[in-house]
Parts: sequence; C-alpha cells; structure tokens
Amino acid sequence: MSETLRSQVTRRDFFKKAVSVSAIAATAILLPKKASADEPEIMHHAKWGQKLGYPVTYNRYGLPSPYEHNNLRRNTKLLASGNFQASIAVTPIHESEGIITPNGLFFSRSHGGVAEVDPSEFRLMIHGLVEKEIVLTLDQLKRYPSVTRTHFIECPANGGQEWRGPQFNSLQFAKGFMSCAEWTGVYIKTILEDLGLKKEALWMLAEGSDNSEMGRTVPVDKVLDDAMIVWGQNGEALRPEQGYPVRLLLPGWEGNLCVKWLKRLEFAKEPWYCKEETSKYTALKPTGKAIQHFYANEVNSTVTHPSPEKPWLGLKKGEIVEIQGLAWSGMGTITGVDLSFDGGKNYVKANLKGLVLQKSWTRWSYIYKYEGKPLLLTSRAMDDAGYIQPTIDQETSIMGVESVYHRNAVETWEVTAEGMVNHVQIRS
Amino acid sequence: MFKLDRKLIISATVSALFTASGIAGTASDTYSNGKKVIDGGVTYPVVDSKRGNYVISPQKESYMHGRLATKNELKAWNTDVMPDGTGLPKGSGSVEEGEEIYEEKCVMCHGDFGSGGGGYPSLSKGNAQEAHATLKNQRNVPNADGPVRVFGSYWPHLSTMWWYIHDGMPHPKTKSLSSDETYALTAYMLNINELTIDGEEIDDEFVLSHDNFLKIKMPNVDGFEPKIDGPNGTDNVRKYFANNKNFGAQKVNPADRCMKNCQKKSAKIVRIKGVGISDFLPPISVKRDLPESANAPVVGQAAYEASCAVCHGTSSMGAPEVGDKDAWEAVMIKGITTVYSNAMNGVGGMPPKGGNMDLEDAEIKEIVDYMYSLSR
Ligand code: HEC
Ligand code: HEC
Repeated sequence: MSETLRSQVTRRDFFKKAVSVSAIAATAILLPKKASADEPEIMHHAKWGQKLGYPVTYNRYGLPSPYEHNNLRRNTKLLASGNFQASIAVTPIHESEGIITPNGLFFSRSHGGVAEVDPSEFRLMIHGLVEKEIVLTLDQLKRYPSVTRTHFIECPANGGQEWRGPQFNSLQFAKGFMSCAEWTGVYIKTILEDLGLKKEALWMLAEGSDNSEMGRTVPVDKVLDDAMIVWGQNGEALRPEQGYPVRLLLPGWEGNLCVKWLKRLEFAKEPWYCKEETSKYTALKPTGKAIQHFYANEVNSTVTHPSPEKPWLGLKKGEIVEIQGLAWSGMGTITGVDLSFDGGKNYVKANLKGLVLQKSWTRWSYIYKYEGKPLLLTSRAMDDAGYIQPTIDQETSIMGVESVYHRNAVETWEVTAEGMVNHVQIRS
Repeated sequence: MFKLDRKLIISATVSALFTASGIAGTASDTYSNGKKVIDGGVTYPVVDSKRGNYVISPQKESYMHGRLATKNELKAWNTDVMPDGTGLPKGSGSVEEGEEIYEEKCVMCHGDFGSGGGGYPSLSKGNAQEAHATLKNQRNVPNADGPVRVFGSYWPHLSTMWWYIHDGMPHPKTKSLSSDETYALTAYMLNINELTIDGEEIDDEFVLSHDNFLKIKMPNVDGFEPKIDGPNGTDNVRKYFANNKNFGAQKVNPADRCMKNCQKKSAKIVRIKGVGISDFLPPISVKRDLPESANAPVVGQAAYEASCAVCHGTSSMGAPEVGDKDAWEAVMIKGITTVYSNAMNGVGGMPPKGGNMDLEDAEIKEIVDYMYSLSR
C-alpha cells in the first residue's frame, strides 16, 4: 500500500468510527486548525538533544524536573495556630494527576512540628484491655503480613473556612487539605488476634510520640473493621510529614484521627477526651451542642479542570475540552458524579474514570463543547452508602455556619466569558 | 462476576451494590458481628476472597511478634488522664504558683491571662459561664458575634487540661513540667476562666490537687453529642450516625435525585469579599519555567574562580579537575545529593566549603553545578 493510500484508508476509517461514536468528536475533526508559521521548536534541534545529559548516577533519589518548581505545598498564616509547627501546608490538587498524591506533595499537618523519629528507637506499645500487653520494634511490626490499600486522607477542616461564604479563590486552599496514597501496613485486627482483645474493650487510644503527643480515641468497631498501622506510602517508607516510621490509618476518617509518629495503642472501656477531640475536631451546631467523635469524611467532590488555578484562558468557542474533577467519600465508594453548568439548578451525569476504589479519590470526567459563555460549574457526588452531597442551604440548615469541620456541600466555580475561574457559592 | 453480583443484590446484608461500569464492591451497612457500621457508612465484607476491589489471602496464622511490655515501661508511657481521674498522679499546686509558671513559660505565646494573640490560642475569654452562653451564636448575619470556644466555655472535662499541659505544653519544650507544676497551671486556668468549685469562685488562694480535682464541673460537660460514656457509648455513636439528619448529610435513592430545576428562586451567587484570603506562601503560580536561581550561572563561575579554582583548576592537588570527564564521572557515582553535602562539609583533602565559610549552601550547590557542567 502506498503512503498516500494508507493515510486515506486510515483517515476514512477514523472518520467512520468518530462519527458513530459521538457527534462532538466528529465536529472536532472537521474543524481544521490553520497551519501557523514554522515553529523554531521544530525547525531547530532542541538544546537538550545535542549535548550529553547527566549520567544515571547523578540523581540517586530522583527529583521532579526543575521546570516543575511551582508544584508545591502551600500554606497561609490564617491556617496557623501562632506558628508553622501548629499548622498545615496543603496539596496543589490542581496539579494532581490520577488518584495518587506524590509523597512530597502530600498535605502536611502537625500540632507540634514534624517529628524526626529515629527508626531504631521506635517502639510501639499495645496495652490495656488485651490478654498480652506487648512492645514491638519496627522490624517486628513489619513481620506481620502486610496489606496494601489506596485511601485518601482528608483533614476534616477541608473547606472549613468557607461556611459563611467563599474565601479562597484557589482550588489548592479551598479543597487541598487532603491527599490520596497507596498505603502498606498491617490490619490492627491481625495483631489483636494474637493479643486477645478483651470483650469489655470499646475504645482504643492512639497516641503519637511527637512534641504534641497527639492522641485520639477510636471505637473498637473501626479497629476490627479496616484500621491499619501503616509504614509504606506509595511504595516507599512514610515521609516524616506523614508520620515516619509508622502512623495509624483509619480509612475514610478524619486525618486527625490517623495519628502520626505512632507510639502507643491502649484499649479501654471508656473514651479518653483528648484535646483534639474536645477543644478541636468537634462540630458546633446552632443548637449550642457540638458533635463529638465525628469520624467519616462525607461524600464530596470538586472540579479540578477548570479551576481558579487552571482557567480556560485562550479556549475558543466550539473547542472541545474535558471538564475533570475528583470525588471521594470516607463512607464508601463513589457511585456517580453529576455536573451542573448553572450552579446546581440542573445537572447532567458525568462519567467516572479509572480505578473506582473504596474510600479513595475517584476521577470523573465530562467532555464539553465550550460555548464561550459564562458558566457556573458545580459537581455533586454520590456514594454506595446512599449519600449525596448536600446543597449549601441543606447543610447549613442543620449545621449552621460555626461548626468548622466536615463541610461537604457542593461548591461552585464561576467561569467568566473570558475563561477566568472564580470561586463562588450559591445560597438562598 | 456479574452472576455473583446479582446473587448478592438479594442478600439481606448487602445494602447497596453497583455492577454498572465496573464499579466493584459488595458494600454492607452491617459488620460481621451483626452490628451496624458505626460511622453511618458501609463496610466491605470478604466475598469470594475479595474485600471490595482487593483480593485477600486466605492464609491465617498466629504470629506473636514482639515481646511483653514490662511494668515500668507501661508506667512510663501510660500517662493519659481520663475524666474519672484514672491516670491522675498525686500532687497539688496553687493558682498563685500557676500564675508564676505561666508568666515564665506560657505568657509569651498565650498572652496576659490567657488572652491569646498572634494566632496562638486563647486560654480564656473571661467568665466561663458568660462565654458558655454564646455557644448558640451564629455569624450568619453581618456583624454578629460568634460562639466563644475556649477551655472554660467549651471543654467538657478538666482531665483533658491536666493531661494536655503535662504532655503537650509548653510548646517549645513539652513533657518538661512536674505533676505539681501541672496542677498549679491547671488551677491557674480555672482561675482565669472564673470557674467555681462547690459554688465558690476559684480565687488566688485556691489549691488544686488529686483530692478535689473531680469536684470541678465544667459548664459545657453536657454540650456534646452523641453521648460516648458507659457501656452503650459506641452504640450511641452508631445510632447517632445512622440518622443523617443529625449531622447535615443527605441520603438519596440515586434514581430519585434532582436533575432539573433543583434550586429555590431565591438562590443567588455569593462572591468572595474583596480578594478574600490570599497571603499564600509561596504565591500561587502554575508556570513551568526554570526557578530564578537556575538562571544565574555567572555567580557559579565567579565564585568558582575565587574559591575553588586553586585546587580544582589542576589535577595536581588531588582534587577532581574541572573539565576532566572521567574524574567527575567517578565523583558523580555517589549521586548529586552526596556530592553537594561533601562540598559543604568537606571530604578527604577537600576543606568544608573549599575553605570559604562565607559561601551559603545554595551558592555551593550553584558552584558545584557550574563545575560539573564543564566536566561531563
Ligand atoms: C511557643 C508558644 C507556646 C508556648 C510557650 C506555650 N504554648 Fe500552649 N499552645 C501553643 C500552640 C501553638 C497551641 C496550639 C497547638 C495545636 O494546634 O494543637 C497551644 C495550645 C495550648 C492549649 C490548648 C488551647 C485550646 O483551647 O485548644 C493549652 C491549654 C495550652 N497551650 C497551655 C499552655 C501552657 C499552660 C503553657 C505554659 C506551660 C503553654 N501553653 C506554652 C503555643 C504555646
Ligand atoms: C584546598 C584545595 C581545595 C579547594 C580550595 C576546594 N576543593 Fe573541592 N576538593 C578538593 C579535594 C582534594 C577533593 C577530593 C576529595 C576526596 O575525594 O578525597 C575535592 C573534591 C570536591 C568535590 C567532589 C566531592 C565528592 O563527593 O567526591 C566537589 C563537589 C568539590 N570539591 C567542590 C568544591 C567547591 C565548590 C569548592 C569551592 C567553594 C572547592 N571544592 C574548593 C580540594 C579543594
């Protein structure tokens, strides 16, 4: 077959398929793009292509390209309790690809700074209402059979600055108090089978070895379901910011409960009332009562493309783009995401894509023909526990505006006629 | 796979199940012990050697790694204090002593009388009872006052304070206070929050000890739901989260969710006031370019000539000569991170920073980059 013929055949084939698949795709192909002037990027040899690159020995631990230097965790003084040791640095989820957060970009929250634990001095104590009270070294802990699971961890204050109105014109700050990783560790129930948990044990205290001695009370129900002690994060040791060498992982539950730099698990009949489950991490309602032991991060979603950081500048009327986002639920698995172009008045069904896992980030997508008109983009996720994201009005009607934590109402991006994206909210 | 899923749909324990578009999972709202899931969500029982999407190894053993903890070890680490006084050591301290320690070790962050400041938490906002009365406040109209959530108005139990001060404060040097000092500081916290014991206001003379500790009743002790104490504690939580109305969540049958005309007429767009919060560190940028420092190789060259060329400009000093590819290939086998640190800290005949301690670490890196760029 001659070159020309082959290209004709394949082109015809392609057209046939494209037309039958979707009208949108066909229009895209029919719109010829004008050839521009010859580009120097193509007409000249690239400078990196003509000199020797650096040897394989150069980066013994690989780093991102220097051109990626703006892909960073960020923080603000508002999110610090006086200093940056009791503070948070949030994940650039506008630059996140897929459902895994690179370890260096995983959000970092601490109450007394990031502890620098010497793994040889690490000990884990498990005691209280168990038949055998034990101590494990890191090596001994890792001898237990491991499980590997992909789960997000979310600070329950994600979006918590915006109960009374939008404040951050940024996806990173509006929704970046979370990340998702593949964790490796051991189910605590596996260890407890060895130790013999006593019947009357209802609660477990998890305590960190860091400056703040972060502690939280966990119901035994979760411990015996899917709670893990993890040491692996995306195929390597936990990063110090995530609790090196070992943290607690309670899939789907508040990040604060997933105690880092773990040192001790104690079982008891009564709960403990730690500082972080009384003073903070309790959700005050308009009744004057606060919800304590508010565990699971509820179903949630966001549009990542476009977003304030990733606007549609230069996008032309008639061009086809993918509207993309993340959905997640600490209560189960994402079952669907709807997308609205008018701020939540009317919705269409968006499509999930890639791996759809329990208590994990899930990608969703909607292919869209841009009309060059202003839009109000709102996404709304559902999970297999039967929940759907509330509207802001629905959520505040019960929770008021002072609860700080667990805000999961739908959120809206305003896309202007110029393709700029602004964070807005729709309220009545 | 599809067959199996269909069968499960009719099984009573499976509350929700989705086979469409490959979404895996056999979600159940009930644990294997017959109790409902505690957080209002679902669990994934092992079905057909799989837990949701994950394959499970069927092998099960007893492992017994580690060793028994000693009595002293347990004592050393088991330092928590519970509301009923479990874990509270013997001791005492007065408000006056507490104020002294506070002025020495706490005031620089938490302010006079616990007023807070500079983002550090307030430990008091005056009279606890008055502050407690604000907990229903909502800032949903302009200029409204919010609820006051400080120790005196909000915390349910005094044990939390003792424990936290003892193990988690003072922030720069935690776990450094004695039991008596902790009693004294806790007493001072009670005093600045104008709390009472047996109906009497806690004044400067007051001494807090393990004997009268449990007599302190915090104003907001009943301010939390669900109730977690006692043998029904976890079941209360279970019941609470079984009702989505309690925590502002929405349940829906997916087929019945609103897709058209879902908004009230009164719905309107609320925008960020002014520029909102935007003091981001570092400022947001999505540019893909070289960092500024990378565009300044001249610094590397000049500094190299001034501080390093004496030795590295020749092979006679035992230093890898700039331009000698083989020599630098041998250097780079260590990886650039090690090479940088050797240049900063010295190695063999190489003095730290080449003997010029005025050079910043970042400058050393730049110089090394420059030297290597001529040597590969
Ligand atoms: C270097 C500053 C600093 C010093 C000094 C300091 N603290 Fe703190 N304190 C903090 C920070 C920061 C937090 C918040 C920690 C967090 O986010 O978990 C805090 C939290 C607290 C809290 C909890 C407040 C609440 O309502 O949640 C108490 C109580 C407290 N400190 C008592 C003390 C006492 C008593 C001392 C002196 C012995 C002290 N602090 C010294 C910085 C300091
Ligand atoms: C007094 C002579 C002297 C000066 C001045 C000097 N070096 Fe060196 N340098 C050495 C010697 C000798 C070695 C080889 C050390 C060895 O491997 O034992 C060396 C090795 C190095 C290496 C390789 C380290 C490694 O890991 O193998 C680097 C990089 C380096 N020097 C950078 C610098 C820089 C940058 C400066 C200037 C700021 C500098 N040197 C100034 C003598 C010198």
